Amino acid sequence: MSRALIAILAAIVVLPLVVRPAIASEIWIFAIFGLGLNLLLGYTGLLSFGQSTFFGSAAYVAGWLLKHYAINVFLALGIGVAVGAASAALVGYLCVQRSGLYFIMLTFALNQLFYFIAYQWTGVTGGEDGMPGIPRPDFLGIDFGEPLPYYAFVSALFLLSLWIMKRIVESPLGKILQAIRENEVRAEALGYDTARFKLAAFVIGGAFSGLAGVLYAMLFGIVPLEAIGFVTSGNVVFATLIGGSGSLYGPVIGSFVFIWLSESVSTLWARWPLLLGVAFVIVVLFFRGGVVEAWARFSAWRERKWRSSRQTG
Amino acid sequence: MLYALMGLGLALITGVLNIPNFAHGALFAVGAYLLASTANLIGNFWLALVVAPLGAALLGLAIEYLGIRRLYAAGHDYQLLFTFGLALILSEAIILVWGPVGYSHLPPPVLRGGVDLGFTFYPKYRLFVMVAAGLLVLATWLFLEKTRYGAIMRAGIENKEMVSLLGIDIHKLFTAAFALGAYLAGIAGALTAPIRGLSPGMGVDMLGIAFVVVALGGLGNLLGAIAAGLLIGVAQAVVAAHWTEASSVVIYAVMAAVLLVRPQGLFGIR
Amino acid sequence: MGKLKRRDVLKIGALAATGLGFPAILRAQSREIVILGLWDQTGAFSDVGPLNDRGMRMALEERDMKVLGRSIRYITRDGATQAGASTRRAEEAVDGEGARFIVGPWSSGVALAVSEVAKRKKVVHLFSGGTEDISGARCHRYSFQWAASPYTAAKTVVDNFMKANPKAKRWHLLVADYAFGWSVEKYVKEVGKTHGIEFVGADRHPLGEREFSNYVQKAAANKPDAVAMINFGGDAVAGAREIFNFGLTPRLPLIMSWSSGVEELVQLAPEIRDNLWVGTNFYYTVDTPAAKNFVKNYQAQFKLPPGYAPSAAYSMTHMLLAGFDKAKSDDVQAVVKALEGLEMNDIVGPMRVDGATHQTLRPYFLLRCKPKGAMKHELDFGDVVATGDAPLPKEYAACKDIGPF
Repeated sequence: MSRALIAILAAIVVLPLVVRPAIASEIWIFAIFGLGLNLLLGYTGLLSFGQSTFFGSAAYVAGWLLKHYAINVFLALGIGVAVGAASAALVGYLCVQRSGLYFIMLTFALNQLFYFIAYQWTGVTGGEDGMPGIPRPDFLGIDFGEPLPYYAFVSALFLLSLWIMKRIVESPLGKILQAIRENEVRAEALGYDTARFKLAAFVIGGAFSGLAGVLYAMLFGIVPLEAIGFVTSGNVVFATLIGGSGSLYGPVIGSFVFIWLSESVSTLWARWPLLLGVAFVIVVLFFRGGVVEAWARFSAWRERKWRSSRQTG
Repeated sequence: MLYALMGLGLALITGVLNIPNFAHGALFAVGAYLLASTANLIGNFWLALVVAPLGAALLGLAIEYLGIRRLYAAGHDYQLLFTFGLALILSEAIILVWGPVGYSHLPPPVLRGGVDLGFTFYPKYRLFVMVAAGLLVLATWLFLEKTRYGAIMRAGIENKEMVSLLGIDIHKLFTAAFALGAYLAGIAGALTAPIRGLSPGMGVDMLGIAFVVVALGGLGNLLGAIAAGLLIGVAQAVVAAHWTEASSVVIYAVMAAVLLVRPQGLFGIR
Repeated sequence: MGKLKRRDVLKIGALAATGLGFPAILRAQSREIVILGLWDQTGAFSDVGPLNDRGMRMALEERDMKVLGRSIRYITRDGATQAGASTRRAEEAVDGEGARFIVGPWSSGVALAVSEVAKRKKVVHLFSGGTEDISGARCHRYSFQWAASPYTAAKTVVDNFMKANPKAKRWHLLVADYAFGWSVEKYVKEVGKTHGIEFVGADRHPLGEREFSNYVQKAAANKPDAVAMINFGGDAVAGAREIFNFGLTPRLPLIMSWSSGVEELVQLAPEIRDNLWVGTNFYYTVDTPAAKNFVKNYQAQFKLPPGYAPSAAYSMTHMLLAGFDKAKSDDVQAVVKALEGLEMNDIVGPMRVDGATHQTLRPYFLLRCKPKGAMKHELDFGDVVATGDAPLPKEYAACKDIGPF
């Protein structure tokens, strides 16, 4: 077992002792969301500014079915994954031909269109008021209505997602995506249909977002309109960058830092977005690789110090 | 016309510097607040209209010099994170300085009320803003087209290596372009203040619109940005007249459609 | 296992208990009553939250933070003007802090979402927003609506405005496009019919709209005798400003049918307020003994007269405390039962909570703004010209069954 995995397992156990289970659950849900984005952002080099399209669509569809047809939990999750993947396939199909700023803006514009549909379709989504009353059905006698069993459920799904994502990035597909990130022209010259691989990254990322979206809807019992808004899209990008987009664990750490800090600081000072802004600026100016890199640099520094002290001592 | 002004400033920044400036909306808001404060302080709207955007330009200068300068080699993701962080800081700073509650700033007395144009009734101040923004756009355009500095800036959009090979300090060019973009955002904000009033979140709406204008016009295409700004304004007015609920989304629909059909923007060459 | 280690294990166990949701029980032993004020410190209503907090604190401090001889622990959370953040933080306060009484938040849409939390978590919830749903189609046993019914508001505004302007028969409406706007619009049209008002136009605008020129241009083209807005906060401010910029006001009267009063009016210049008629749930010159006392104390503490936000929070807190007093208990069900049918004389005048719908039956006010010259001080915006308390007729009541606990 790797050290990172041990750290994550320890965090899963300790977290609900330190923060409320709802926040703890949200951290891992957001981490799943971040994992999906990072396949695009970190591994393929595509900055999608519209991830909430998939997150929100899945939450709405699965939430609707949970609410009106009382479907099984796993069916709801499966549907969420499918909706996330399908909406990502649609958006990805339209976007993968574009690059750079055009790509970012196109994902953003499509996100706004989905938002508008959710805003206007009040009969289904509740529009501005959100879609409330989403249940957490029992499964095999386990009452997910209680915070802790649901937390355990979310954590298990997070570990599963992490494992799947690890397999994906280490697979040939993952290597090709990284090759596209490094040099798209060369990847193409090697005979890869880069557009298709980028689309695949989209679909997988969308599936993760969809899973996170359904878990989120069940966690709070509501799909708020902002679940499909661009602020959510932005938050997942920023959380991932803070954690470090270059690493598999970056989005996990990012979601931890982002949610925990914003929850705890927001109760202390009303102007907390100011601190968030300062944090962003510091990360960009000094720790381009996010928390992951900051930690790596810190350990390297410690090692050097340790060595030099041995040499002199 | 205001959209064109806002878009032109952002087009300049994205074109020359190739970064997505998420702080553009915040600079717009700073311009508006500076106008209201200076106008109240010195009691002269016109002088304030000159001073306020200069403040925004100075702020832009500082931002470029202290931060953005170090980001040209970084990816769009970090540029975005940085400018977004700046936007958060600026809008929170506005709340700390001017308070969270918005307020109104009236147009100067000569420009209050409306005129009957025959087919419709229109506020005088809005007509003034149209003319003023039009002249500003024209002036900026002439500056870029007819002066040596303008030529260098346009060359900077086309080919950065060439510019530096010619012995021009590319860093100075970037700083100047960012400051000019910030100036345009600031003056757009200052002109808007009497129309929309002052509120800490006022930059956010404008930011979205500015990006749409830039995308529509084609990245780095300044004339395109001007045309796209006009187009968006007209499209929004037409849709609002027939389907009011959709007026805020129409711009994004147009943007998505254009990006899909003509990825280089309506008037893009690249 | 050494001593130190054992102690650590115990400590972890205690922490674990906190995480498991035991604190409600632990806290109950300490006999504190925990009340949550869910107020927006960020987002669209970030300017309102701090004021809500002031009002609620004042009401609690008047009682020395005590009720039923026990101390009250007041906690507050940032609702962020978002349904997601508000429900999350409400739930966290219920599970983690043992809060069983929630007041707020400000936005009616968000309050609707919080109301679902109250229902699920079985905690008492009081709020002030304009939505008809909580005392209507989505009514349930735990949520109470402090603000007047949209019908009361529409009736007060239209009746009394027509009394003052009997010739203004052509109205153009500007309506915020969400549940609150629709319900008030429905009743304004309903009441308008009885006065023979012709609605020459009714445009809906999205929430958070800032560019009103197109709407106002359309309104002007309809050549109305009066323009009435059914929106709130920033939308109302932006709309009123644009209507002034187009030269419609002061030539035509403008009605803000559901306004926060001070908070909105202060954002408009005196010139814009000329010929402005404002329907509101509270204004600080309302002539009741409770309001006089509250305004005096508020001014002593904060210099300025209170706006709607602190007043609503203050009055809601009064209502909740009166519920405790009447129930002689802090048991959730007992307090709910006590609130149902509760009668009290508060800052707005006589109030009664309708047990069948959880709607507060209470007066609503129409304000006429003063021209610049007549203002005695900066916040002297206008005079209350009429008060009305017509309750929602039974046939309109959408809450057919308040339901069980």
